[in-house]
Amino acid sequence: MEMLVCIKQVPDDSVEISLDLGTKEPALIGVTPVVNAFDTYALEMAARLKETFGGEITVVSVGNDEVKNSLKNCLAVGADHAYLVKHEKSESLDPCGIANILKKAVHDIEGELETKFDLILCGKESTDYASSQVGLLLASKLRLPVATNIIKVEPMDGIMRIKQETEEGYRSIEAKTPCVVTVQKPDYDPRYPTIKSKMAARKKEIKELSPSEEVSSMLEVIRVFEPAKRVAGIKLKADNEQEVVAQAMSVMTAAKVF
Amino acid sequence: MSHSDAKNIMVYVETVSDTPLNGGLEILTKAHKLAAARGEEVIAVLIGSNLEHAANTAIMAGADKVILVTKDNYEMEVYEAILTRLAEKYKPSLILSAGTLVGKDILPLVAGNLTTGCAVDVMEITDKDGNFVFTCPVYGGTVLNDLVIKGTPAVAAVRSGAFEKELVVERTGEIIKEQVGVENTVRAKIVEVVNEMAETVNLEEAQVIVSGGRGMGNKENFRLVEELALACHGVVGATRPAIEAEWVPRSHQVGQSGKIVAPKLYIACGISGATQHVSGMIGSGYIVAVNKDEDAPIFDIADVGIVGDVVKVVPLLIEEIKKIQSL
Repeated sequence: MEMLVCIKQVPDDSVEISLDLGTKEPALIGVTPVVNAFDTYALEMAARLKETFGGEITVVSVGNDEVKNSLKNCLAVGADHAYLVKHEKSESLDPCGIANILKKAVHDIEGELETKFDLILCGKESTDYASSQVGLLLASKLRLPVATNIIKVEPMDGIMRIKQETEEGYRSIEAKTPCVVTVQKPDYDPRYPTIKSKMAARKKEIKELSPSEEVSSMLEVIRVFEPAKRVAGIKLKADNEQEVVAQAMSVMTAAKVF
Repeated sequence: MSHSDAKNIMVYVETVSDTPLNGGLEILTKAHKLAAARGEEVIAVLIGSNLEHAANTAIMAGADKVILVTKDNYEMEVYEAILTRLAEKYKPSLILSAGTLVGKDILPLVAGNLTTGCAVDVMEITDKDGNFVFTCPVYGGTVLNDLVIKGTPAVAAVRSGAFEKELVVERTGEIIKEQVGVENTVRAKIVEVVNEMAETVNLEEAQVIVSGGRGMGNKENFRLVEELALACHGVVGATRPAIEAEWVPRSHQVGQSGKIVAPKLYIACGISGATQHVSGMIGSGYIVAVNKDEDAPIFDIADVGIVGDVVKVVPLLIEEIKKIQSL
């Protein structure tokens, strides 16, 4: 099974990003770039499918040379090929712009590798902008079936059997191959690279692609700001719990909470 | 699509078992205010069967017109095509829906079909000199963006709890039945729908929520959160770590990847206050936090913070609250 995993490099989501009050931009300096968490789940899902059904995994991203590091990391955890669509200002693109670029990349890569992808995987959203639209729009532009928020996919008799997580449970979806899926966190974690796999990845080439013709972004940010801060109330500490709860209860009763 | 003559607000209202979901009704109330200020109308779109009662509820919530389209089962591709056709016919300047799984699936596709843009996780909509401005969280809610959509119509999926529903029984509106012909070539077909949740959890409408986090320690201790919720007539909430530890089903999750809530009272037990969680409950009226770490960020936003061991503090709180409730 031939698979393509679309990767976005994002600032480490375990770091709280605040607003730089001087530049009025999010303060990203010193925050390590990482592969978007949901994309790592997508890659792990692909790696497991490869172990069962064979085939190869290609990863693709859009951005500047810095993104090559993230792609190298993908090569160390299951990807066979890596492509970067060179774009110096990818952060200015809206989801539709990214989907346009990826559509061309799909055709370019299929041409270069002389293959056809059976499955294209994306994370269900990115941890930075969380627009959750690129996978849907890419499928729409490629005129392929798509399922979002999936926790399992398996090829069977020429179709893909997909498990989509919903708020109440799940839906089983059947899609013709090829198709696009956007991946939610499954009940397993992405694998770690080994020293050996890291060394092998370092030797692999990251091939560059040119972007499609630019389409102007439909979304324009006109103000970046911080949410209103809540003022901290009182913090109660005491030697014994009886006392501290009694204090808390009197504050709450006075505030007519109960 | 560019229409200088585009006007009115179209709202897709999702229904489950012939009943409109609250998210859609909340948006109708907000849309009513936005449209009324412009002298325009709110057009609700309901897709399904037996929707007459739901249509009346939509009118009470703020719809001037309700379009009913009959379809038996939900298919993303069919619903997306229907909404696109209706948008082409009615030419709204804004299309809204609740940011549920369905809303977040169909709206970006509708926007794509109409060559316009879609905002998601919208927390606020303002009308600034004739342009709709959407406030959206980025980086998990620590930074907010105000954005405008340059295409027409503007399309936006609204985050749960952003607006309040007001049902006015006296309101009147027109119900229109539309037949929308859509090619029946579904590429990704839903073959089974499974509901795994034993109970419905209505966090969005709860007046009181008692939530537990990693600090509860284990599944047994998490029962204290449930007891406290029972004592306060509240609903149980949880952080992602508590869900991942399987102490409580994921329908209870509060936060960026769960429910966004705004109850009158929010009691956080054993919750440190990671942004992921806080961005989902910061709109609460009164916040009480219990945590043994006095430097936990949850105390920065709590009205009352109790520094102490949850396993000792929570049972005492239950006892005290039961006393008050029995008065």
